[in-house]
Amino acid sequence: MLMVIAMISAIPLFFMAMFTGGGMLIHGIVGAMVSTVAFIGVAAGIQDISWDRYVKIREMIVAMPVHPASYAIGIALAPLLLSVPSLLFFGAIATMWGVFSPLTMLWTVAALVLCWAAMSAIGFIISTYLFKASPWLLNNLSNLLGIGLIFIPPVYYPETMLGGLSWISALIPTSNAAGLVRAYLGLLKLPQEVIVVRWLILIVTTVVFVVLTSLKTRWTET
Amino acid sequence: MDEAVKSAELVKVYQGKERIEALKGVNVSIRKGELFTLLGPNGAGKTTFLRIISTQLMPTKGDAYVMGHSVLNEPKQVRKYIAVVPQDVATYGNFTPWEYAYYFARLRGMASNEAKQAAGRALKAVDLWDMRSRTCSTLSGGEKKRAIIASVLSSNADVLMLDEPTSGLDAVARRGVWSALRDLVKEGKTILLTTHMMEEAEIVSDRLAIINKGAVIAEGRPDEIKSLTQEKFRVVVEGQLKELSTYGEVAKLGDRNIVYVKTENEALQLLKSTLKKGLRAEASPITLEDVFVKLVGGVNNESR
Repeated sequence: MLMVIAMISAIPLFFMAMFTGGGMLIHGIVGAMVSTVAFIGVAAGIQDISWDRYVKIREMIVAMPVHPASYAIGIALAPLLLSVPSLLFFGAIATMWGVFSPLTMLWTVAALVLCWAAMSAIGFIISTYLFKASPWLLNNLSNLLGIGLIFIPPVYYPETMLGGLSWISALIPTSNAAGLVRAYLGLLKLPQEVIVVRWLILIVTTVVFVVLTSLKTRWTET
Repeated sequence: MDEAVKSAELVKVYQGKERIEALKGVNVSIRKGELFTLLGPNGAGKTTFLRIISTQLMPTKGDAYVMGHSVLNEPKQVRKYIAVVPQDVATYGNFTPWEYAYYFARLRGMASNEAKQAAGRALKAVDLWDMRSRTCSTLSGGEKKRAIIASVLSSNADVLMLDEPTSGLDAVARRGVWSALRDLVKEGKTILLTTHMMEEAEIVSDRLAIINKGAVIAEGRPDEIKSLTQEKFRVVVEGQLKELSTYGEVAKLGDRNIVYVKTENEALQLLKSTLKKGLRAEASPITLEDVFVKLVGGVNNESR
């Protein structure tokens, strides 16, 4: 299912190609990469709680000496590994267009990993408050988070399109990661100090969300 | 400390559209190395009790202790000692019993070699060693259940908690699970089992508690529980007979009646009298089910 999400990330590219004549397609490729890891991260926890109604692995693990953060990483890491082919596909296209180099690839991977970690933490924390939620609610919540954190912020499109509000993109892990990747690919002009600040923001937001999985996760039902 | 598990005035209230008092001050004590069964009808509070003891659910009031550690204040300590099989648990179809047992051992922090040994022991204990490499989708219901049980066994936990582990299994598969559980008790494990099946409770338990509407109404060895009623024998009579209620309490089951009598002589007298009238009848000692039904308020009773 989560592999399908990775493929769904490519759907907006079709519309971008149609409506922009291919001019925005490279921005869309960046968006598809960020969207793949972000959707997988945020949906992993929520899907796990739906699936756990049947297999109850989480119930068994709650009663074991396993830290919630380890569990969160486990459930988000598995689909991330399965999405690697999609990421390689998008990376290959970017390389063919000559915007990827080994160094930019390293920075891209770093930004994607941080984005995935932050989104996984968000999805996991939310999922622990939804033990009794209906499948309908879980499904829609997953979609809403996807829209709110991936499709509305400047992930598929450049943040310069937001004009004076472009700074907002630095506050959201998805658009921040997308902005950083674009900066390394030469698609977005950012001063060096802004790049450093944005890395710091991405690292801090990720750390905050990961720490919150330890502090705010409702591992034991009330 | 002889107690593996002890609950102290455990209360659980679910606040929702309607307020449900699932546990009403439950006090239960489970000794180390025994198989203790929580027996009760559906909705009695068995699963709620087990989930609180296993640190999955917070109580509203009271506390419980596992190996001396409070589930409220020391859940991390408690988790070192326990392993749980939840109710109606399903298997991942593409997992093998070996993967279940091995990965659960690894999750406990065992090194690879240690986990392999633990998984091997667990699979042999539940008689799944020969099927260890088959995917769960190809196993029968009983084998799947045993694969899950193997996963908690491999954890080598001292206290195993199983929530209705044999529900939905056929008689042969059920006996396979019972046999595995008794072997574990022999090895010194403490087992907390919940069930609504009387036969299961009677056969496998060292001690049991009957829980109904969130309260424990009887606790002891199966024979002690059976001695809680004055009637020691039951006579099942096929057909109607006016004087049945003169012998003892009668439970009507459609065209059949179960008559509870105090002595063997009374049972024999009733047998003779019914057989004389051409009716079929069968006498036997009372079962745990009879006592259970009486304690929780059975069906269609007529007293003499």
